[in-house]
Amino acid sequence: MYRYDEFDAAFVNERVAQFSDQVRRRIAGELTEDQFRPLRLMNGLYLQLHAYMLRVAVPYGTLSSKQMRMLGHIARKYDRGYGHFTTRQNIQYNWPKLRDIPAILAHLASVEMHAIQTSGNCIRNVTTDQFAGAAADEIIDPRPVAEIIRQWSSIHPEFTFLPRKFKIAITGAPNDRAAVKFHDIGLMAQTNGAGDVGWAVYVGGGLGRTPMVGKLINGFVPHEHLLAYLESILRVYNRYGRRDNKYKARIKILVHEEGLENIKGQVEDEFSHIRGGVLTLPDAELDRINSYFAQPAYVDHGVVSVDVEREKILDPAYGRFLENNTFPHARSGYTSITVSLKPIGGAPGDATAEQMEAVADIAEKYSFDELRVTHEQNLVLPHVAIADLRAVYDALGEAGLADANAGEITDMITCPGLDFCALANARSIPIAQDISRRFAAPERAKEIGKLKIKISGCINACGHHHVGHIGILGVEKKGTELYQITVGGDGTEDAAVGKILGPGFVADEVPGAIERLVDAYIARRTTEDETFIAAYRRLGDAPFKEALYGNG
Amino acid sequence: MTKILTGNELLSGAVVYLDADGRWVEELQAARVYEKDDEAAYEAALAAAKASGRVISLEDEDVEIIEGVITPSRTRAQIRAGGPTAPKFDRQHLGEDEHVSL
Repeated sequence: MYRYDEFDAAFVNERVAQFSDQVRRRIAGELTEDQFRPLRLMNGLYLQLHAYMLRVAVPYGTLSSKQMRMLGHIARKYDRGYGHFTTRQNIQYNWPKLRDIPAILAHLASVEMHAIQTSGNCIRNVTTDQFAGAAADEIIDPRPVAEIIRQWSSIHPEFTFLPRKFKIAITGAPNDRAAVKFHDIGLMAQTNGAGDVGWAVYVGGGLGRTPMVGKLINGFVPHEHLLAYLESILRVYNRYGRRDNKYKARIKILVHEEGLENIKGQVEDEFSHIRGGVLTLPDAELDRINSYFAQPAYVDHGVVSVDVEREKILDPAYGRFLENNTFPHARSGYTSITVSLKPIGGAPGDATAEQMEAVADIAEKYSFDELRVTHEQNLVLPHVAIADLRAVYDALGEAGLADANAGEITDMITCPGLDFCALANARSIPIAQDISRRFAAPERAKEIGKLKIKISGCINACGHHHVGHIGILGVEKKGTELYQITVGGDGTEDAAVGKILGPGFVADEVPGAIERLVDAYIARRTTEDETFIAAYRRLGDAPFKEALYGNG
Repeated sequence: MTKILTGNELLSGAVVYLDADGRWVEELQAARVYEKDDEAAYEAALAAAKASGRVISLEDEDVEIIEGVITPSRTRAQIRAGGPTAPKFDRQHLGEDEHVSL
């Protein structure tokens, strides 16, 4: 993992001191709220419905066990004993008090973490594949590049006040698990004819009130020129982005309105001026950063395999965990484990302080001290020896973290919704809870197979509903919470925005509506292996529309 | 429209309501209800609240009085008053030094 150098440490500590003084001045009445608000937001401190909310950055979703323990400590000492992991691979605390924020930030700094640039019109935390550096299908580990982007974008003087917020996602694998085509910039590793690794750059993707699939602006940017290319895009966006209208200020609107070719021409022109200049990544610096992400000291366990079918008979819950929660690792004898934060009836993404500490202990003992946060609001133990699988499963079970539903229908992305969020129009979490209870039976979930439901409590789409195979969007209509259901969204390399098939449903009707969609799929799939999304693509809207609304 | 004045207390972020004595209190039912004819009083209270800076995110909230109970029209306001519904959490409370008035 990356370790702060002297500059990083000094910068973060300075910021803690600055913000501590700003909090002191605010409480003393020396700063008005209008003066203080932008300062607190620059440090990740929002005001939500019931209290402040502190959003802490987890750079590219990577944590050490020491950092995770600190997150648990903060949850216990300064919050209500839990934290909420988000689709931005961050963690949010829902109940901190203003006076405690300086102490919390100091604790975070002590483990090389902060809350800087988790709000505001700047470049936000770079997100990536949760299996980065471990996945069998990876071309290159994207984390060193993510770290370089983090350093480049941290208080970048030119890009601190962009027209709107700016999100970059990066994947080193052809199978996109980071939804890169739904970010302002999405990066996918590519290999050219000479065998060099570079980056396909997508621009102008996004969710929110105007969902857009990112457009390929350059099919191969050489590795060493990536920062110059990113800077070129940001410069064009900063110059021409719509500052006149908040709802049209994201780069997706600029690209849409001006056309990809026009934007591409401007970017290439900018790139021609700065390519090969100060932003060229020097080999020595690349090597230095790469060294932080060197492979762990894997042990050769010989040929180790687990007979999943046998385990399913001996211990169905464990068998199901093996089937759903393990992911192929690049190194033989190892696997990556998804730690589900989606217990039946729970709040998606929430973990208690005790669970954070338990998973930190497990990571220290069994996963080379490493943890990941996924954009689907789960955790990952990236490097677990297959020989240790049972021990890890048992330890997770003791912490209440052995839910074996990764990738199944109950593994939903859900935003905090109207229960917490000041922007929301409808509640999200109770909808997720009702759906998860409805599909709680393991046999039923297995019968359904891989199906992604994503729920947002407003059009800002923090719950990624547009890219759910089934998406649920909460709206308010005449004082009532109403839920629109979309079908056919996909956040992967086969990116698609889901389609609304008809009028919304009141909360009580939602689980039944989902069940009807699921039944329509099962009745019409060609084989058990045809997934919901594949069946939808083959069948089109009609059977799903009929399932929701009848054929009248 | 009948309304109340609400916001979040600076130190705790807790939801508070302005009562008839100019105090910011946790209880929705203790809030001063401004009728149509009370606009001047409402504006004066809002100006004083803004000036004090101890309660932020000030907003008026439409309410109805149903059998003597102050009932906010919006679900949002009901959740603000009671705390999150799922998972169910108690609302944020004011600490000892967080009880303030205009």
